[in-house]
Amino acid sequence: MSGVSAGSLLGRMIREEYRLHSELFGDRFAAFPLLVAALSGAGFWLLTLTDVGVGAVAAGLHGLVFFFGLQVGSIGLVGRDALRDVLGDVTLLVFSARTLPVTWRRLLAVFLLKDLIYYSVLFLGPLAAGYAVFAVTAGVPVGDVGLLYLTTAATFAYGAGASLTAAGVATRSRIARLGLLAGVVAVTTATVAGRVDPVALSPLAFYESPSLATAAAGFGPVVVLSVLGPLTFRPADGGAARSSPDRYSRVRTLLSDDTGVATRSTLEVARSSGSVWKVLFSMGVLFGVTALLVREVGRATALDPSPGIAFGTLLGLGAFTTYSWVTQFDDRREYLRYPLSMDAVFAGKRRAFLVLSVPAGYAYLALSLLWIPLSEVAIGAVVFPLVAVYVFGVTAYVTGLAPNELLFDTPLFAAFGAALALVSLPLVVAALTHTEAPTASTRTALAVAVLGAIVGVVLARRAGPRWAAKGR
Amino acid sequence: MPAIETTDLTKRYGDVTALDSLSLSVAEGELYGLLGPNGSGKTTTIEILTGQIEPTSGTARVLGADPVADPLAVRESVGILPEREDPPSFLTPREYLQFVGDVRDLPDVDDRIDTWADRLGFRDTLDTLSTDLSEGERQRVMLAQTFVHEPDLVFIDEPLVNLDPIMQAEVKDHLREYCDRGNTLFLSTHFLEVAEQLCTGVAILRDGRLVAERDPRELGPDERLLDYFREEVADADGERRQQQTELAAEPTERDA
Repeated sequence: MSGVSAGSLLGRMIREEYRLHSELFGDRFAAFPLLVAALSGAGFWLLTLTDVGVGAVAAGLHGLVFFFGLQVGSIGLVGRDALRDVLGDVTLLVFSARTLPVTWRRLLAVFLLKDLIYYSVLFLGPLAAGYAVFAVTAGVPVGDVGLLYLTTAATFAYGAGASLTAAGVATRSRIARLGLLAGVVAVTTATVAGRVDPVALSPLAFYESPSLATAAAGFGPVVVLSVLGPLTFRPADGGAARSSPDRYSRVRTLLSDDTGVATRSTLEVARSSGSVWKVLFSMGVLFGVTALLVREVGRATALDPSPGIAFGTLLGLGAFTTYSWVTQFDDRREYLRYPLSMDAVFAGKRRAFLVLSVPAGYAYLALSLLWIPLSEVAIGAVVFPLVAVYVFGVTAYVTGLAPNELLFDTPLFAAFGAALALVSLPLVVAALTHTEAPTASTRTALAVAVLGAIVGVVLARRAGPRWAAKGR
Repeated sequence: MPAIETTDLTKRYGDVTALDSLSLSVAEGELYGLLGPNGSGKTTTIEILTGQIEPTSGTARVLGADPVADPLAVRESVGILPEREDPPSFLTPREYLQFVGDVRDLPDVDDRIDTWADRLGFRDTLDTLSTDLSEGERQRVMLAQTFVHEPDLVFIDEPLVNLDPIMQAEVKDHLREYCDRGNTLFLSTHFLEVAEQLCTGVAILRDGRLVAERDPRELGPDERLLDYFREEVADADGERRQQQTELAAEPTERDA
């Protein structure tokens, strides 16, 4: 390769990322790390009021960061088309392999490294700062906080690498996709059956018990996936023009869709990078993390959380990613040119959202029958779609057709987070107190979920007029 | 009744006046061109007339309807082609036009799609994902969605962009025929020769204000719309720049 060194590329990509966020969110962007620090500090303080120990909090934090890494790494699933539709005519350095004498793999490897550095400073740093206050007051040595920062950063890279590798494998062939799905199911099943301990193969193992052996076992997979991701991933652009038989009429009939909005959104999700697999994949990750958290909380505390309520709540919250998928190619201005009310647009979006997210969530709940009782799965099956309806309503009302603007838009992020917490916190408490009062906690969870769904429906109905008026 | 009529139409964004007291009237069957440099208010005018944004003050009527009070009624009866707009990336042109047919509740959509694909020459790519089309092919699809419901009035922002010379000539012919059938076309363009060849009336905007209206057919043999445009826009800009230069050159108290 001539000309551009990896270091130079890295510096330019970091600058590019910062400018992109500054351009998108203006001055508010600078406040985002402060908000993360404040929220994490407040969250850890709330945890001190419960019996949850420091170890469980650290484990939960690693799980959260792993999930965040997966989301960030899903650029492979999102693809350049989505970036163009979300950000307009933006050309990022990572997509410049055609014009610069740099290979795509090298660009992608540097891009991953840039993400690791950028988010370690802007997100993981504030998170660790919030944790430090909690940990030090709980008697944790300061050195352990530094160690936690290191292992969460590695966990972030683990998630991003896993996501990119999965996307890379998924773009190869249908058989590769099926193999990937089978692998995820096998690992999840082996984990819940107690045959595999994924924690032992993650940086959390090193945090819990630092040694050469845990370093090798914990950081090894991170290195492997960080190399495999850029090696396996192939950009979606280029190649021969892709033809497609007319699926529109068939899908429209299946969905009983009058306006065509739901049909169009569903087809866009199915045909863009990652196809409908990305919905299944993102929910699967959340499902796995929830299973792990429920198990860890059960081990680390005297609590025995309700898996049904936990799965229903977190899968419902995770449906937010499906909202992102069904709106990722939208531009509100386009709909303003049609004789179509914004009410009708959001109704179409809701239909596509439910059609994609509900079967995916139910598939995982069905899988959970392997190790949790039917009565618990039934609770999850009721809670999950109700929470998903709430999530749809809140997201549509707060963000309209641009949910990605939540990222780094501090006031919007705070409003959205608070709205989700209103429903998710009582549900989490209900899940945690299930052992002590099973009937009361189940009733509470169902009541909260039903109430949330009602609020969600109302908010979804108001989203149309709100966004029609906005900007006119 | 005029197809379009505006009175003192004004749009402000904070301290910036994007459109300043625009009053104009476009008769039915006219091919009306809106000219002006970037930021002169052309797109704002079209967005107000099609009910996409509301004016700060003033009134507008489009085919007898009020785009502020009833934007859906206006959008139902007009076609809109914005500048630099592509069909949805992951639909084929056929599927996109089916979607437009659903949104507009059109009968015989498949026949209409075939007609427009033949007329604008994209039958071969009807089932290709739009993301894989060339820019010119995408523009043809966008032109088709503008006309597929056979509207009485069409708003077009730069109709010939990305088209090859042969297709440009065909589209010009189509636009003329469209107006010959009694329909109205409201065209915004930077290309003066397009306005000169096509339009039956042009308005020149500068800084949101209407500075001149002309019928290009009335231009003398030695006259060109470009000269007229220079006179109204470029010279005015030159004067302004000159004034700014002079102001900057004046000695300030500190210099003194």
